Amino acid sequence: MTGPFVPKILVLATEKCAYPGADAVGKAHQEYPSNVYILRVPSPVLFPEDFYLGCYNQGIDGILIAACGSDCPYHGAYERLAARIDALTSHLSAGGLEIERIRLTAICTVCIKAFLKEVAQMSDNLHRLGPVNRALAEQLHRESVQRLRATARSPQFVPALQGAL
Amino acid sequence: MSNSDELRAKHYNEQEPRPCGEAECDEEAHTQQQIALAGWQAGNRLRADGEEDPLRIGVYICRCGGNISDVVDVERVAETVRLIPGVTIAKVHTFVCSDPGQHMISNDILEENLDRVVVASCTPFLHEQTFRGAVARGGMNPYLYEHVNIREQASWAHKHDPEGATAKAIRMIAGAVGKLRYAQPLEQIKLPNHRRALVIGGGLAGMKAAADLASRGIKVLLVEAGTRLGGHLNQWGKVYPSERTAAELVAELTQRVQHDPNIKVLLNSRVTAVSGFIGNFKTAIESRHHSASMQSRAEVTVGAIIMATGFRPYVPRDGELLYHSQPCVLTMPEFIQLLSSVSPDTKKLTYHQQAIRKIAFLHCVGSRQLDGVHEPGANGRLNTYCSRTCCTTILQQALAVRRRFPDVEVFDFNQDIRTYGRGEENYYSEASKAGVVFFRYNGEEPPQVHRTPSRRISNGALTVTVKDALTWGQELEVAVDMVVLGTGMMPGQIEDLIGQMKLATGEDGFLQEVHPKLRPVEVAVNGVLLAGTAQGPMNITETLAAAGAAAVKATAMFAKEDVEVHPYVAQVDPALCHGEAQCVTQCAYEGALKLVEMEVDGEIVSRAEVNAGLCVGCGACVAVCPHRAINLNGWRLDQFEAMVEGIATDLPQPPCASELVSIH
Repeated sequence: MTGPFVPKILVLATEKCAYPGADAVGKAHQEYPSNVYILRVPSPVLFPEDFYLGCYNQGIDGILIAACGSDCPYHGAYERLAARIDALTSHLSAGGLEIERIRLTAICTVCIKAFLKEVAQMSDNLHRLGPVNRALAEQLHRESVQRLRATARSPQFVPALQGAL
Repeated sequence: MSNSDELRAKHYNEQEPRPCGEAECDEEAHTQQQIALAGWQAGNRLRADGEEDPLRIGVYICRCGGNISDVVDVERVAETVRLIPGVTIAKVHTFVCSDPGQHMISNDILEENLDRVVVASCTPFLHEQTFRGAVARGGMNPYLYEHVNIREQASWAHKHDPEGATAKAIRMIAGAVGKLRYAQPLEQIKLPNHRRALVIGGGLAGMKAAADLASRGIKVLLVEAGTRLGGHLNQWGKVYPSERTAAELVAELTQRVQHDPNIKVLLNSRVTAVSGFIGNFKTAIESRHHSASMQSRAEVTVGAIIMATGFRPYVPRDGELLYHSQPCVLTMPEFIQLLSSVSPDTKKLTYHQQAIRKIAFLHCVGSRQLDGVHEPGANGRLNTYCSRTCCTTILQQALAVRRRFPDVEVFDFNQDIRTYGRGEENYYSEASKAGVVFFRYNGEEPPQVHRTPSRRISNGALTVTVKDALTWGQELEVAVDMVVLGTGMMPGQIEDLIGQMKLATGEDGFLQEVHPKLRPVEVAVNGVLLAGTAQGPMNITETLAAAGAAAVKATAMFAKEDVEVHPYVAQVDPALCHGEAQCVTQCAYEGALKLVEMEVDGEIVSRAEVNAGLCVGCGACVAVCPHRAINLNGWRLDQFEAMVEGIATDLPQPPCASELVSIH
């Protein structure tokens, strides 16, 4: 059952912009690789850094964050998201995981061409990079969870994140 | 047998398990299946102990009459997803959204004791609500339902990759099943509903909306910035298509509004602050009194706000088409004022002591502007839109001139005529019959207005030059005594309200509805409705219709004691929260998330608490909690993690060896 490497691409698509944008691609009967999985999210700002690293650990090779950009319906959410992705990128880079595996972009409800371009670009990058180093991702994930835990001001044991380790 | 019966019969036949080829269905294949099942199970954390999964999930896969099944092998999807732990049944149907399809779901919930449902079909924007309804009719909480989009995002997008599309459908369903594992039953959030509406703007739309609301027993506060009700109509003469005078219309509505005990009218007043949410808007209104030095401020809580803030007429720049440079270049509102100031007995039209014998009407002044042809306005924007009302207004006025002053010649310069409403085309044909002369120009070469050289000034002081498309591009010069600019509509100046209420505007700057067809008078902020030209250029008929629709929408909202809003808001688990307030610092919505004191085990502690009415559900708070104590209902982090796991986990071998082809 093993064949040539087919990267798994996860698209985190905002409910107000990019998700209907991805729908528009299908409605126009434009095609893109079937290994692209689109998750509807209110705003990707809700994801902590360890979520992305957890995805890599699960075997997701690349993540495209398709947000609303300046059309974001939530106050300040896009700016926060951009800052969070910046931080993630530097942690990826410092930890030795290729930063091309994450990309933040804005896709509107009718941005068919932009969607196709972003997906093709991510796909090209991932074919060049090969499969994600899951063991490394697991290690970075662990470090990320520890960083988040370290922000806790309470000295108590943190049971909720224990499962993540 | 009817067509749908046939479809159904076909469907039920296809429901039978497809026979395997003899060779393939041997023991080896079954062993494969066992291994596959074990493999799938191993990827699932809740089944690792070998216990029977407590969940009873029903998965329904839609053929969409071939839209999906022509590409995705839906039968194989069903056979494969049946192997996912927790999935009790997986069925295929030709149209799950049809009555029989929905009935199948609610029936199965009762008969098979399902506690979660997945439908894999079209985009959730079409039928997520439909299936939540079907699930609720089966007695299940509608938020234990998950929608998978395998049409727009699989069959239509991967037409030439049926294997890939099929595998994708399976993975997406596995993700949805994972998400449902962590789903919690949710209830729509109920909030008190203040049964009072604020209508901003006392023009035609505001008066109509107020009168309609009041007639249904709803208290209305009608706030008008000007000194009287009626808005722009106070400056107008006869209005199309009824040819009644605007004054009559204003008088009639003013009468209704002022005598209705349910309506309180505040003139010389402005809404200066708006906060809160549907059913519970807190607003501040400032009024000026007779002596301009006296001001008062009132705070009012209302359940709904109707934006009837209207438009601003386009005012040409000084010198644009010689406006403000030549006295006989008028905008349409100025011309209408002029006509209504002329006594009905007057047979000659004069202006500035000058006899007017020839008038030119120019269409699209300040509308349908083109980059490189027109100069952007003070806001840096071009008005690229059509103002919709100018064509008929020009023809109505041109016709009025020809009928009242038969000696006055009328010339009409247009790029095309848009008399789109009932009765409006008559103005065009009547104007043609009445001798109005039409010129047509290309939008990129609009007509120009010049002063007539003195040797020919007896023909008229102004000359309109045009490249006329009706005579195959001839350059024509028409000398006239007066030029009337068919000026369009601009968005009203309500930037403060837009900012405070977080309203969306379109590229044109007018307030934007949620959906032009499905939700035409609603905006993204629940409880705020649009009436009239605040939303875009409209004529009187359309304005009244929109205002009536907004009033109906508001009335429907007030029909309930409480307002119900979607439950996708943040929620704090007080058992995990340590009161460290990292989340609070991330929240951009005042009052939505704050620390409160509460007693836990006899001790007073701080814990984060969400105000469900103010939380918009962006999730900015979720990412920063070191204790994972805050989550978005319906979009929990563990749900997303489970979805990714479902998508990323290797698929089991297909259950039947005949299908042992790579689906990776």
